Amino acid sequence: MSKKTTSIRELWRVPIYTLCIFMVCTSGARATSNYVESTFVSVSQLDIKVTGQVQDEFGEVIPGVTVLLKSTSIGVATDLDGNYTIDIPEGSADGILVFSFIGYVSQEVRIQNRSVVNVTLEEDVQAMDEVVVVGYGTQQKKDLTGAVAVVNTDELQKRQATTVGEALQGLTTGVNVRGGGRPGSEANVVIRGLNNFSNASPLYVIDGMITTANRDFNPNDIESIQILKDASAAAIYGSRAANGVIIITTKRGKDGPMYVEISSRNSIQTIPRYDLAGTDEFIRLNNMTYDNAGQPRQNLDPNIHTDWQDAAYMTGEMHDFNATVSGGSKNGSYLISGNYFGNKGTVIGTGFDRYSLRVNTQGSKGVFSIGENLAITLSHADEMSGNPIVDVTRMLPTIPVYDENNPGGYGYGSPSRGSTFGSNPVAIADLEDRQNRNMRIQGNIWSELKILPYLTYRLNLGLNVSHDNYRYLRKEGNWTQNQPYDPAIYDENRGEYMDGLVENTLSFDKVFGKHAVKLLAGQTYQRIQYAQIWGNKRNIPMNSLGNYYTVLDQGDTPQVGGFRQEAALLSYLSRLEYSYDDKYLINAVVRRDGTSRLSRANRWGTFPSFSGAWRISEEGFFSSDIVNDLKVRASYGRLGSSNIGYWDHLSLINVFPTIAMGMDQTVIPGATQVRLANENLRWEILEQQNYGLDAGFFEDKLTLSAEYFISQTNDVLTNMPIPRTTGHDGTDPFVNAASLRNRGFEFTATYRESAKPIKYYVTANVTTLRNEVLSLGYGRNDIYSGNTVTEIGQPIGMWFVLETDGIFQNMEEIQSHTNSAGQMIQPNAQPGDIRFKDHNDDGQITNEDKVVMGSPWADYEIGLNMGASYKGFDFSMQWFGSFGATVYSGYRSLVDRFDDNSNYRAGIKPWTPENPNTDVPRAIAASTLNSRGDTDRWLEDGSFLRLKLIRIGYTIPPAITQKIGFATAQVSVSGQNLLTFTKYSGLDPEFLNGNIFQRGFDNFAFPNLRMYTVGLQLGF
Amino acid sequence: MKKIIYIAIVSIFSIQLISCNEDLLDIPNPNTLTQADFWQTEDDARLGVNAMYAMFYKPGLWTRWMYFRLDLTSDEGFSSSPWLELGDWTRFQYINYNFWEGNVETWRDTYKAVWRANQVLTYVPDIEFQNNDEKNRLLAEAHFLRALHYYYAALLWENIPIVLEPSQPEDLPEQRPLEEVWAQIEEDLLFALDHVPVSRDAANVGRPTKGAVNAFLARTYMQQHKWTEARQALDYFFIGEGAGRYSLVPNYQDNFTHLNENNSESVFEIQFSDVNRGGDGEVPNATMTTHRPQFFAPNGIGWSDGEARPWIVNAFKSERTVDDELDPRLRFTVFYPDLEADFGDKVYGRNWEWGSRVYFRKYARDYFRDNEDYFAQNNFRMVRFADILLLYAEVLNELGETSNAYQYVNTVRGRANLRSLEEAYPAIGNNQEQFLERLKMERALELFSESVRWADLKRWGDLSNPAQLAAVAQRDPDFNNFVIGRSIRLPIPQQEVENNPNLNQNPQY
Repeated sequence: MSKKTTSIRELWRVPIYTLCIFMVCTSGARATSNYVESTFVSVSQLDIKVTGQVQDEFGEVIPGVTVLLKSTSIGVATDLDGNYTIDIPEGSADGILVFSFIGYVSQEVRIQNRSVVNVTLEEDVQAMDEVVVVGYGTQQKKDLTGAVAVVNTDELQKRQATTVGEALQGLTTGVNVRGGGRPGSEANVVIRGLNNFSNASPLYVIDGMITTANRDFNPNDIESIQILKDASAAAIYGSRAANGVIIITTKRGKDGPMYVEISSRNSIQTIPRYDLAGTDEFIRLNNMTYDNAGQPRQNLDPNIHTDWQDAAYMTGEMHDFNATVSGGSKNGSYLISGNYFGNKGTVIGTGFDRYSLRVNTQGSKGVFSIGENLAITLSHADEMSGNPIVDVTRMLPTIPVYDENNPGGYGYGSPSRGSTFGSNPVAIADLEDRQNRNMRIQGNIWSELKILPYLTYRLNLGLNVSHDNYRYLRKEGNWTQNQPYDPAIYDENRGEYMDGLVENTLSFDKVFGKHAVKLLAGQTYQRIQYAQIWGNKRNIPMNSLGNYYTVLDQGDTPQVGGFRQEAALLSYLSRLEYSYDDKYLINAVVRRDGTSRLSRANRWGTFPSFSGAWRISEEGFFSSDIVNDLKVRASYGRLGSSNIGYWDHLSLINVFPTIAMGMDQTVIPGATQVRLANENLRWEILEQQNYGLDAGFFEDKLTLSAEYFISQTNDVLTNMPIPRTTGHDGTDPFVNAASLRNRGFEFTATYRESAKPIKYYVTANVTTLRNEVLSLGYGRNDIYSGNTVTEIGQPIGMWFVLETDGIFQNMEEIQSHTNSAGQMIQPNAQPGDIRFKDHNDDGQITNEDKVVMGSPWADYEIGLNMGASYKGFDFSMQWFGSFGATVYSGYRSLVDRFDDNSNYRAGIKPWTPENPNTDVPRAIAASTLNSRGDTDRWLEDGSFLRLKLIRIGYTIPPAITQKIGFATAQVSVSGQNLLTFTKYSGLDPEFLNGNIFQRGFDNFAFPNLRMYTVGLQLGF
Repeated sequence: MKKIIYIAIVSIFSIQLISCNEDLLDIPNPNTLTQADFWQTEDDARLGVNAMYAMFYKPGLWTRWMYFRLDLTSDEGFSSSPWLELGDWTRFQYINYNFWEGNVETWRDTYKAVWRANQVLTYVPDIEFQNNDEKNRLLAEAHFLRALHYYYAALLWENIPIVLEPSQPEDLPEQRPLEEVWAQIEEDLLFALDHVPVSRDAANVGRPTKGAVNAFLARTYMQQHKWTEARQALDYFFIGEGAGRYSLVPNYQDNFTHLNENNSESVFEIQFSDVNRGGDGEVPNATMTTHRPQFFAPNGIGWSDGEARPWIVNAFKSERTVDDELDPRLRFTVFYPDLEADFGDKVYGRNWEWGSRVYFRKYARDYFRDNEDYFAQNNFRMVRFADILLLYAEVLNELGETSNAYQYVNTVRGRANLRSLEEAYPAIGNNQEQFLERLKMERALELFSESVRWADLKRWGDLSNPAQLAAVAQRDPDFNNFVIGRSIRLPIPQQEVENNPNLNQNPQY
């Protein structure tokens, strides 16, 4: 029964496609042929012949370059080998030749009576004629109607990073990047704010393979990156695009003989450090806290001076060696690249190694072409255990790193050295060993058939396979006070991930006079599978050298398990692009998606989008010497998202409970439902409007781009907290609950001077974003999470805490701190304690007194990138700043408290009768009241401005390099994150908290590292 | 142009062809069955019932935090943990009501257990059974366990929502006053009483018997001072079907080790086992152990997050046995500075190094190891016959049958080789008040740190008036923080109050 109704329901699609065809047919009636013809005709009766060759920066010849004698109509084009011959009138022997070609900066060269004029053209990355990959096709940048950001790949590749995401920060508007730093860690990328609560990252499309960002991808292979930011641009990716799309195209071979490029980059990394009390200061303060509490002092050892940061941190290293061999002809090209990337971490016992190989080839014969992009990667991460960032503050300077009296030989809290339940980071690094290895094969094969000159069929088969192996060894020994005994344990799991994609698309591209029409129709199917088996054993024996046998044959008490995951997505897509006379541009997309993650009744969603642009500068009435390009754009789009688990719409039975029963305590099984599910889950819908303006001034020396967007997400799939009286365990069940709105403004301005010997550019971008919760699920008005509240009409995760009001200086102040009824609010307080505001005036301090105390979201973020070059030297600088966020310093909430035995902030001076002018309350080891976490005491201004990159490069003149057999050679020195201007007390204001309700809570996140890099690049 | 149409149509049809295949999107979960597939057979019912018992093994309940709530909060124990917040939650300093370890986890796990019982009680009645008595026995287990968890929740928070149906995500259950919670517990226990057997066969020891149900009925009635009903429940052990079934084991220590579990003194035990070595969540090989000894063992052996108030040592030493020796129960109740001098025992093989501190010894595993871990296998004796004897004595005393009550106290004293109560304390006579005062001490000596003290203090009214409270605070200075009318119950987790409009915070919080 369902089968039949389904088919009928699907039938509606036929009219859509028929409509597409209909449009093709009706406009096709006026079809005219469209071919390029040379407009330059050489004239006879001339005297001088000038010849030469035109090359690009890499020594590749450029065919088809226009060579024009300035102020005349005399011109030729270069041939296939980049050579030209131009005849010029005798009187122009000292004239000027203008060399121009799409995608390159035009160059004017004085002939100076030479007969040979060779020229090297530089690529013009900002050219308005740039081709932009927009998903299932390309567009010229000038024809864009949606919000698409083109990342400057040169800028990106100046940065040394493990993953692409990490390198994106500040290079374009509307893209927020946090995280990274740890060896092998993957950064978190958010495009245009949070469209939902599920913390989803954007979709990555690498050479047409739909995937996620992962550390197995070699950033050196990137040719171009486009970011589809608004719904109309992303709509072609439909249901997976609600968080934006990052399209990456990898390099491919270019026409010409084999070209070899070798690069090497070596970096050192340092981790920022806290300023913590040394032994003497710690003992003085710790004694004070016990004295004030009337308790005997701890028996601290003044002769031990451990700097835990010295013990846990080291100078990191990063090595990145890359070799690329490429070449091609008209009918084919190849590119092979190999890369080694190694990172020895700044935290002891961590590291990451990656070996990758890429082979991209393509070939064509007549109407048929075929190609593949394939990358094989071997990665090995030595993962961090525990969190040394917090442990270095919790361990006391009076505790030695090593203590032979303890099991395992490491020092940790004890009554004689001072009690702390911090973990010895050196011990954890040794005793807990986590290794993660994987081999990934990722790539695609495509083939294209040009059925007609304007009709192309394309088949794309993508594959992403990863074999993962995780090994965990827990050696015998302790790292923290009073630790329960564990024997040596070995745990290993193997996982297999497979992701297959099949895409069929048919595209039509034709110009009918002033009408240009592109049509696309297609179908895609993607299936993701993951399977894992795991096992562990206890009491793993050691060999005679003291190494453990890390295999599952050894040990006892075996445990095994395994599971599988699988999901599929079936989609139909269509797009119409239409332009009239290059002035009016229209783009429409319809995509229909079906997902296995939702129930049969709810699995299909349809997502249309429309956008249009008007190139005012192309109008006849428009004439300006200043403005050479002006375009306005508007778009509306609707996207779906089903970013949930594999079977989140099913109520499942947990079969893990076992119980001991009977006189023999036989273990018998149980089964029950443990987690709740909402079976009626449906698509989350994002609707976005985007308004944009692009303008070029002075022949594009100055370009401006501005965007304003309003996006609203309804039926947000979210893990709304549900009452624990349900008995639900684990992450709260997904529900189509909230509505959210994001509004933002993005502005980019670039000034570029490339005609003068000193070439330079400056790009500034500004992003503002405001999110607002419009409704919440289950009829609720607010969600509380940690120290935040999310309320309707407000941004997500506003700080919700008690307001402090200084420190009681004397009993009189305590007595006079009363409510309107004259009731003492804090009768048990002592001088030196914190005074809290009794906002509800009930005469006591309770949760009811909490108030909203700031937003964790930045008011605006800026990127400022500049570069200059002179002769062989080039210089660049990238700044990133974020302003106006209120953040919670987890660090200060730990080191500024005296009730918990952790180290203290160096120089801290708690309140004493002799030191009344302080905002630090008295130190007392008896009550958590002064150090309670839910107060505004730990909130700080998280604004910062950071020099993300500074770099100087030198290109050795070709005259020299060619002597030693290279076409190009460049050396560079760069530094990353060298300077940060901020008032924030923690390690790094640019931190990540994965819980979106607590985005501003710096819970000892791993900081961005300072990095110094020397790079060498050779081409031959 | 015709060609285009032709190709386009072919493409469309090929696309349509694939699209009809909805099967491409039907991916069943290969890992486990769905709720709709379950609850079909007798076996399903048994599995569902078994899963309820696994809730004893969760940290919020009897694997860990219950002992903090009941033993450390009472005047028997306290915490000098350097984790001050953990300690604050044993001394009535509740600042962050969302403190996971002190409050939320126990609340959550209580309702997890309730949900499991509710699933059984809702779905099992629709399952066909060959033998309807068997079905009722299973339902009785669910009623019993639901009552048990509500009983402890009533002791801790008092005014709680009563959930009786399988949960849905959108549920916002209504809060009920304490009387209604007690009434629900009684109702569940009375059903269980009708359908559980008097005894269990060897394979099913650990499931409730009529004795276990009557014990909880009596406890429930007694907390409400329903002495007559409590007596009826307890009569089961003395003049009812249960008479003669239970007796005290000769060796007091056998009540706390893993060596003589489910013995003649046992009325209801949690069956802990160290066979599994996994985590404590809903995972494969989940532990079935108690963390109590790891948390209470002396510093350097365990976390030492909880320790005993020293008054208990003096209380034991104030009366010697018939043979003029120390009360043998002292030896197995606490580790204290003179333990080696008095009884010759070291502490996990170590000499005394903890100054004047006193640590809990019941359930400690020093009798066979020199360290602790999270895999303690000693069954927790939730109800043992000594407790029943003393409860019966208390009920009889309350009903004016003081002279009749003596014999039951004397049975308990007899095992410790103490003289009879009449002989040792002749001044009490038939004075009801004095008898109760002495009974309070007898309960402390026999049942110290067995998680009954908090209910005792509440029942006796010791926490309701300033004079009695002052006496408690003499033994345990933490009670100086106790605010009458407030501290007798925990604050409800604040997030629950915030996320459920039908739930109010407890008074004065």
